[in-house]
Amino acid sequence: MQRDGHPPILELESFSHTYLEGTPRASEGVRDVSFRIQPGERVGVVGATQSGKSTVVDSFAHLLRLKEGQVFYKGEDVAAPGYDRARLRREVGIVFQQPESQIIEDVVGADVAFGPTAAGLSAAETRERVEESLNTLGLPYPEYRLRYVHALSGGQRRRVAIAGVLAMHTPVLVLDEPMAGLDPRGRRELLELLVRLQKDRELTLIVCSASLTDASLLCDRFIVLDRGSVVMDGRAREVLRDADRLAKLDITLPEPIVGAREMQKLFPDFPTDLLTEAELESELLERLGVA
Amino acid sequence: MLELQRNVIFGQFVDMGSFIHCMDARVKIAATLVLIVASFLVDSFLGFAILAPLLLAIGLVSKIPLGYVLRGSRLFLAFLVFILFFQVLFYPGNVPESDYLWHWGILSVSTEGLYTAGILALRVILLYYVTTMLMLTTSLVDLTNGLELILGPLQRLRVPVNELVLVFVIAIKFVPVFIEEMERLARAQTARGFPFDEGGPVKRARRIGRLLVPIFISGFARADTLTIAMNTRSYRGGRHRTKLRQMRASLSDWLAILLVVVWVIVAWMV
Repeated sequence: MQRDGHPPILELESFSHTYLEGTPRASEGVRDVSFRIQPGERVGVVGATQSGKSTVVDSFAHLLRLKEGQVFYKGEDVAAPGYDRARLRREVGIVFQQPESQIIEDVVGADVAFGPTAAGLSAAETRERVEESLNTLGLPYPEYRLRYVHALSGGQRRRVAIAGVLAMHTPVLVLDEPMAGLDPRGRRELLELLVRLQKDRELTLIVCSASLTDASLLCDRFIVLDRGSVVMDGRAREVLRDADRLAKLDITLPEPIVGAREMQKLFPDFPTDLLTEAELESELLERLGVA
Repeated sequence: MLELQRNVIFGQFVDMGSFIHCMDARVKIAATLVLIVASFLVDSFLGFAILAPLLLAIGLVSKIPLGYVLRGSRLFLAFLVFILFFQVLFYPGNVPESDYLWHWGILSVSTEGLYTAGILALRVILLYYVTTMLMLTTSLVDLTNGLELILGPLQRLRVPVNELVLVFVIAIKFVPVFIEEMERLARAQTARGFPFDEGGPVKRARRIGRLLVPIFISGFARADTLTIAMNTRSYRGGRHRTKLRQMRASLSDWLAILLVVVWVIVAWMV
């Protein structure tokens, strides 16, 4: 388990999970999933629907009936008897697909304050965290703290949900489909925010999505899931090189890669491991220059 | 709590492809009604003892594991025990002094009280069991069609049968949807440090209160979406609609209902 002296911050070891196991309605979530995530890594967990992404996300904070010996946080088995789950949940922050579901209080300020208060922070510290988180997400504290959550728009609610998790200052931040339901500007803002936060706080960032578009701008490693199993795991460029396989797995490819695959009709050896449009452009110009 | 669906199976449909699953829905509904009537008519332990093998047979033939049904009825059974406890303690009848096993003020335990509570328990369990089995073995579409056909004649009396059936079926089938929704909410809130998987029963029960507001909101939103979806597809009751699948009761269906009726009559007569 030890590698470079550091245990991985998160590790799945032959993790299998079946929902409603032992009942006629049992359905398999994931089978034999193994990977390690080192502190400070930016990992995209990518897969089509039913690939097991959400099961993997839920396992990180022990939100399932886990079996022992499969999920480890900082080298410790989270399913071991007596393991402090409350502490685990204070350190692994999850922003779920539907932000509404994780909002506990009716009022924005109170909801963002929920985590820090529960973690035992003083009123002054909590206030500071709430103000900082709301401001960071573009919801100015004085204006929003007394607003009702249910009166906000979908995008604003998502930001409140993220603020609630950020206020916990968790070393691990997990986002499940963070861009769903956001308009292009909202996406861009959230993307910039996440990149900045990850750097400033040295977060371990895990982004789950059925689309590589957002994940490719945020992450430098991809774990690709298909029907409950890991099918690819590697550096972003390595995974993107096999664009045909990704497309077969029903994963939405980023624009530059879609472009690159079109180019393959002209240049069969055109690479697909391009992260930005600028890379696509320079590659194309080079080819045309040669031709 | 994180797997609430295990503990509440009311309104769930589990397709095991058994004989009972394949039966004509109208026959299943009729048999259920006969058994519901039986739960009121039968008033002796012997009567219920006679019914027991029939119920067990239904369970076995349906291929739905008994353990699944029992586990899924835990909350219901706990509630029943809670109610019966008070039923026994506050039994008001004019009980001869010799029948009291224990007495303190208005609280008492008498043999008559225990007997009544026992019969009551069996009635409620029978009611719950037959309706649960009907829903476990009948799909939403079959249940709707079956009820509409059975109640069809009432349309002549201007009873809005289709609308009533639709409301009834939606209400029942929303139960599992809400259970799933609660599970999702509980999971998300647990992740935020509001644990639903720790603490005693009282603590857990109080936490469920926290889910009520979001559940109501999502319930209204769902109802709204469903209404819009039905309107956009021009739903207007079923009066002039024809059915894609015609229901036809076979000989085995008739035999099954005959068996249930005879069995109930025997249990009632003893």
